[in-house]
Amino acid sequence: MKKLAIAGLAAVTLAGCSDQQEEAQVLNLYNWSEYMPQEVLDRFEEEIGIQVVYTTYDSNEAMYARLKLLDDSSQYDLAVPSTYYVNKMRKEDLLMEIDHSQIEGFDNLDPELVDQSFDKDNAYSVPYLWGTTGLAIDSDAVEEGEVTGWADLWDQQYEGQVMLTNDMREVFHVGLRVLGYSGNSTDPEEIEEAYQKLTELMPSVRTFNSDAPRMPYLEGETDIGMIWNGEAFMGKEDMPSLEYIYPEEGVIVWLDSFVIPKNAANPEAAHKFISFVLQPEISALISEDIGYATPNLAARDLLPEEVASNRTSYPTAEDMENAEFQEDVGDEAMQIYNRYWEQLKTGR
Amino acid sequence: MLRGLRQPFRTGVLVLVWTWLLALVLAPNLLVIGASFLTRDPGTFLSLPVTLENYRSLLDPLYLEVFLHSLYMGSVTTLVCLVIGYPFAWALSRVAKERQLLLIFLLIVPFWTNSLVRTYALKLLMATNGLINTGLMEMGLIDVPLRMLYTEGAVIVGLVYLLLPFMILPLYSVFDDLRRELLMASHDLGAGRFSTFIHVVVPLTLPGVLAGVMLVLLPAMGLFFVPDILGGSRNLLVGNVIKNQFLDARDWPFGAAAAIMLTLAMALLLFTHRLSQRRLGEEAEV
Amino acid sequence: MTRWLPRAYLVLVYLALYIPIGVLVVFSFNDGRTGYRWGGFTWRWYESLFSNDAMMQALWNSLWLAVSAATLSTLIGALTALALHRYRFRGKKALRGMLFVVMMSPEIVLAISLLSLFLLVGVQLGYFSLLLAHVTFCLPFVVITVMARLSGFDESLPEAARDLGASDFTMTRTVLLPVIMPALLAGWLLGFTLSLDDVVVSTFVSGPGYEILPLRIYSMVRVGLKPEVNALGTLLLVFSLLMLVLSQWILMRSKQ
Repeated sequence: MKKLAIAGLAAVTLAGCSDQQEEAQVLNLYNWSEYMPQEVLDRFEEEIGIQVVYTTYDSNEAMYARLKLLDDSSQYDLAVPSTYYVNKMRKEDLLMEIDHSQIEGFDNLDPELVDQSFDKDNAYSVPYLWGTTGLAIDSDAVEEGEVTGWADLWDQQYEGQVMLTNDMREVFHVGLRVLGYSGNSTDPEEIEEAYQKLTELMPSVRTFNSDAPRMPYLEGETDIGMIWNGEAFMGKEDMPSLEYIYPEEGVIVWLDSFVIPKNAANPEAAHKFISFVLQPEISALISEDIGYATPNLAARDLLPEEVASNRTSYPTAEDMENAEFQEDVGDEAMQIYNRYWEQLKTGR
Repeated sequence: MLRGLRQPFRTGVLVLVWTWLLALVLAPNLLVIGASFLTRDPGTFLSLPVTLENYRSLLDPLYLEVFLHSLYMGSVTTLVCLVIGYPFAWALSRVAKERQLLLIFLLIVPFWTNSLVRTYALKLLMATNGLINTGLMEMGLIDVPLRMLYTEGAVIVGLVYLLLPFMILPLYSVFDDLRRELLMASHDLGAGRFSTFIHVVVPLTLPGVLAGVMLVLLPAMGLFFVPDILGGSRNLLVGNVIKNQFLDARDWPFGAAAAIMLTLAMALLLFTHRLSQRRLGEEAEV
Repeated sequence: MTRWLPRAYLVLVYLALYIPIGVLVVFSFNDGRTGYRWGGFTWRWYESLFSNDAMMQALWNSLWLAVSAATLSTLIGALTALALHRYRFRGKKALRGMLFVVMMSPEIVLAISLLSLFLLVGVQLGYFSLLLAHVTFCLPFVVITVMARLSGFDESLPEAARDLGASDFTMTRTVLLPVIMPALLAGWLLGFTLSLDDVVVSTFVSGPGYEILPLRIYSMVRVGLKPEVNALGTLLLVFSLLMLVLSQWILMRSKQ
């Protein structure tokens, strides 16, 4: 019977091992939820012959923690952090250098969005999409002219109708901007002040959502709050009364880039995927489908007029007034943010 | 005792199970205990100076409030389960024996269904445009939809829904054991209904109550997906805090300390349970 | 009054338990776009479910994991139960205690402790780590199920078999195995369901190379109301019902 037990054990575990090995060429893509049309993945598989395993996260923090956790087990081949995390991960030696000789179509990218201070010469990252975090209202429930800035969220009449993204940095960004500080503050006192300000907002807040920030509006749970521009774009298709507003204190701007984790198992496939997305046609398809702005200038020429001139996806210079780019604030400040963040979400 | 299979079998089995438990239960738990005394390190998850800091920050008013709130929601959940479950178990134990089996079967069917899916089903009902609101509005009982989803109440409803069978089953088993004769005896001796209840029924069912509390209260504080789905990522539980420390904030020592608090709470409940059983045993002998 | 009141109460609680599930099942056939209003009957959510490759892959992964975890934990659990039942040995109390602790300890504590261990030892998060974790939390339930069966077992039977000259092996096969078989099956089914339903532990110890159904459902449910979730939930419900009926049938039959 002991033999039987050992045989059984071996059989079960061996079967499991072989099951894992038989997989063909695979690219493990770790991305935000709803941030890549299925069509792109299907076409990549069809044209290049590499299967994409798509797993998702809903915050930079979760993505970073997971990559850090699995650092040496080479489980992910490609991830899409926001700029400030590219910087952080590069400094911490978590990324593999991009081999630009394997990348095609890099020249298509907007010169204003490459070679930035967070990653000189794009040694570690290739821009994927950029976008803004602004205000959304359901114009059936909220007067359109009434909401012009972040500060309007604090208005008593919206009690119980406000939605915030489930993103620590973004929510504090709003708090800091309303107080007139930089959204990238590292000053503990400013952060605390922002926290105090945000606690005043909390009774109005119904829910935090970063999985699909358009859904609470679509489901009728909230009428006003934060949203990502692409989500506003997608939401409008199902709900015409969903309006995207550029707050007068300034929108939050971010750029998400492809990075290859240091111990990626299949960097070759990762490079191929980046090149694939950089094709103007594919980049245009992505921007058209999920409503974020593509940094790919060649793709922008291919966009249909109604997308290219859509102010939600492609803001005008006027919309970008006071806009602030998200930056790395360092681990120390992050700890402070974190502590207040948890308290904010649990407090009543 | 059965004498039987030869020694190698016995040794083999014991080695196997002990190895498993030591490697996958004891060792990891020791690791967590160890981690809780270390310092958070942004690079590698843990670093050396041994410290009590993590336990101290549990008492920090900021986090203490988080824990107390979670404990509060867990306790309300447990209480609701008890209030619903106690009379339920009693009523169940009085149904004819043949039917009892079917009823218990019906009670565990939901338990065998995916808990996420069940939580999601509650969302369908409680959403602002959901079925309850639509129904009430069509009946003309309300004009404005009730805001049910993303509230503390929604989280508690979700927890009760998932955990109720765990309260009912142990209660049912004590009620089932509670012999009718005992009640009759007490009745014959002149005790009134209420007095019978207080002096006989309550003490005898106490172990069941405690077992139920144990099976409900602890999971109620750990089921992080319920606040995620029904609480709008607010009204967090200890489980959310621990998960967040491990998977988002990367403060493992603090997360470990929080987990140990939860384990200690379990130990305390187990101890109370044991104690009550022992006392009951003594009384029975007297 | 004393007769109908308890019954009415029972009915009420059962209704509360079953209405959400019923709604889920009904709405999995709903053709309406909004998700809350009835818009006619359709199979299309089931179709879109079956045409979703990632979902089907996760389903197979989950089933395979549940089968292997249930099998392994039944094997180890049954042997442990036998040992606990028949032998006196040092540390018996500790062994029972430890199994009890595993059963009672909050899932999240088990999850983080296993994650720490896997990282320290360098076990790659994927099928293997999930298997180890799932067997660990299923184990005590199997032990209890088998022990319960053994405790009601007439101990003179194997003695008689031996007196009649049966060898250990024959005795185990012809006397012991038939007796504990129902418990083994029940334990296996319990382990299977526990594994298929687990969210908390799997969240921590799974890797991208081996995605399983509960985690897939979790990410779907967090995104919002999706009719595919209703369809999937209904399928899982039917599946677990079948399993449950099967296990009850086995137990009932063995009692007769």
